[in-house]
Amino acid sequence: MEPEVVRAEMVLAPTLPFKKVQTADKYPKGQSRGRQWKHLRHLLQAADASSMPPDRPNYLNIQSSPSIYPPKRYCDITGFEAPYVDPRTKLRYADPEVFKQIRMLPDEYVQRYLALRNAAVILR
Amino acid sequence: MSSVTRPRREADFARFPSSTPIVIDNGASTFRIGWAGETEPRAAFRNVVQRPRHRSTGETVSIVGDTDPALMKYFDCTRSAVRSPFDDDVVYQFEYMEYILDYGFDRLGANSEVGHPILMTECECNPSFSRARMAELLFETYGVPSIAFGIDNAFSYKYNQKLGNCGEDGLAISCEHGTCHVVPFLKGQPVLGACCRTNVGGFHITDFLRQLLSLKYPYHTANFTWEKAEELKKEHCYIALDYMSELQIFKNNKEEAEEKTRYWQLPWVPPPKEEPPSEEELARKAALKEKAGQRLREMAAAKRSQKIVELEKQLSYLEELMDQLDEADESEATAILSRSGYLSQQEIKSAISKATQSLRKAKGETNGNEEKAEVSAADKYPLVSVPDEELTPDQLKEKKKQILLKTTTEGKLRAKQKRAEEEALREKLEEQRRAENPELYLEELRARYSELSEKFEQRKRQKVNGGQTNGNHGSSGGVGRGERLNAAQKERMRLLASAAFDRGKGEDTFGMRDEDWLVYNKMSKDNDDDGNDDDESELVRIASKLQEIDPTFVSKSEAVQLTPEPPKVRPLTAEDYRIAIGIERFRCPEVLFQPGMIGIDQAGIDEMVSISLRRLMEDESVKQRLCQSILVTGGSSLFPGMIPRLESGIRQYRPYRSPLKLVRAADPIIDAWRGAAAFAASSKFAKQTFSLADYREHGENLFHRYNIVYSL
Repeated sequence: MEPEVVRAEMVLAPTLPFKKVQTADKYPKGQSRGRQWKHLRHLLQAADASSMPPDRPNYLNIQSSPSIYPPKRYCDITGFEAPYVDPRTKLRYADPEVFKQIRMLPDEYVQRYLALRNAAVILR
Repeated sequence: MSSVTRPRREADFARFPSSTPIVIDNGASTFRIGWAGETEPRAAFRNVVQRPRHRSTGETVSIVGDTDPALMKYFDCTRSAVRSPFDDDVVYQFEYMEYILDYGFDRLGANSEVGHPILMTECECNPSFSRARMAELLFETYGVPSIAFGIDNAFSYKYNQKLGNCGEDGLAISCEHGTCHVVPFLKGQPVLGACCRTNVGGFHITDFLRQLLSLKYPYHTANFTWEKAEELKKEHCYIALDYMSELQIFKNNKEEAEEKTRYWQLPWVPPPKEEPPSEEELARKAALKEKAGQRLREMAAAKRSQKIVELEKQLSYLEELMDQLDEADESEATAILSRSGYLSQQEIKSAISKATQSLRKAKGETNGNEEKAEVSAADKYPLVSVPDEELTPDQLKEKKKQILLKTTTEGKLRAKQKRAEEEALREKLEEQRRAENPELYLEELRARYSELSEKFEQRKRQKVNGGQTNGNHGSSGGVGRGERLNAAQKERMRLLASAAFDRGKGEDTFGMRDEDWLVYNKMSKDNDDDGNDDDESELVRIASKLQEIDPTFVSKSEAVQLTPEPPKVRPLTAEDYRIAIGIERFRCPEVLFQPGMIGIDQAGIDEMVSISLRRLMEDESVKQRLCQSILVTGGSSLFPGMIPRLESGIRQYRPYRSPLKLVRAADPIIDAWRGAAAFAASSKFAKQTFSLADYREHGENLFHRYNIVYSL
């Protein structure tokens, strides 16, 4: 270990005196743990099934509802108000100059702009 | 890049008696740990872990918190991303949580078992599986005697209540890293049933800013790291009091917009100006090139002569062999043949002729070629001249093949000759016409050219519009919805569809019979192009003619460009290296108020207040009381302009002229920890914890009803 790294105390020591079970023993090397951790969505779904009276507040109950106001439409490229939508790419634009720019965009950028709005086409 | 400070290791762990609780504020952005009763946490670091590989030793190590980029060069970070144990505001990845807790306790100075009770913060209505696993982790791995969980916003509210910023009944609006919450308080306790949460927070703002900038300045994507985007956000972003009018300012009013725009200049070195090479330079370069050329030529000549020598040697060897064979008798002949590797005299003869030919070619003689042509003609079709009766059936087939070949090649030759003659004739006629009346001729030519180019462009436009989606897809065979098919593609589709479905109901048996494939013969294969060819060649010819004789002619293809070119690649100037952050300054934080801007279908924080009050289901006087003590807390509430905007937003949902009072927390970032520390230091804390025995007894059900009492 290089001296400056040691001096900076960057790295966690492999064994720590206050732990009853060390990390290395708990998670042995070589096992891929990537898929062991379920995403929050799945855990919440699983928890829903188990006994939980619906009148008590739980994590999903307190989520806020969709807004009662219709969402305002903003231009994807410039951010101004956008009354128009490009039929080919489904991007919103504010005026004709922006439209010209949109038509010249490569496909990758179109999808990234749409992804900002969570409107990208995801092919699985 | 700002300097990164990492917390020091505290040395006084042993000083505290084992009844002093340790207070941990486990936030989605920072982890704070300290002792109860103090005013500042002992250690605070970013709540992330990365596990890169150390380059020299090869082992995988864990690094918690922010790192000094200069030291990261010792690690290979390609397969390790910066990870957080949180998803929104719930802990779900306990491996990383363990590393973070390790580091936290280590910085606090723990060297023996952590024998102190722990107060840990969590989000509102934390799911019980998350609480259970956290409790398990703390009990089993760290040997903690007892734990208490509390809500961080509630601690912040209580702390500010003690300071006098808000009353016993009130509302807490908290904007955190991954979420925003609105929690009403009645009689000092949070009413969890009326709580409200939206899944936008500081993280989404930073991410939005980063993506906008990297889309606008694609050359500098590498500069827009997440950390840099956070810095920019903290320094420059503000919340507009009225979003639509700010937009109008930027759209219409140039000077005011300029004032509000901030620029970030990236380091840029202009490329060294190249001076036009002087005379001597040019002469020197020319001489060098000459020498190099000469050297190459010499090498080529040497190779050629070497090849010639080799070929001559081989030729002489073969001829010698032939002589030997002629002289020798039967048995010796076979012996000589086997030694040399050729199977018969014929082979040797053919080898000799080949060698002589290549020799002649190498020497650069051309009469060999003509002979070859004639020879090959006679050789290729040897059987043609032989009458049928003398041949065997195989040879008959051969003869038929050769006749066919011969006739086709002759036909091709004749067609070529005829075309050449026609060309010559046409040329002569045109010259005649031109000589008679140059003006008229020119007019005719121009008319014909414009007509042809019109037709051509129209056809091209049709093809382009019919076969293109968004300009950049290569395949033309695919058909998308809403595109105009040209006639050929329509026909193709029709044939295929009818072939597939005419079978009869049930399965698709297209292809089982051989005749099915004949359908493809019926389809026209891009018959446009055949029609195009003649026109195209004529167009080109006329264009070249016009260019010769007409001084004012400009080729159509140069003058007009149908499709706009993509942004040209030009040398980058200093302008490109200046990042302008104008409208993004207030567009990004607006996400808190309009989550629809990034596609999250939930209410913004001003509307969340009205939702929360509605869920409370109390009468108007209570609501009024609540609205008179609203506390704004959380790290993401530090944007300038947040309070006025919130006030005007909430006023929209309250009755006309009802009293409204918003206060920002004393220190929105650390107040949660301070409140928790004050709570843990009180005498009633011990009753609110649960111990290992309780956990063993009840299991996860313990958490369904577990809620601490905040009022002290």
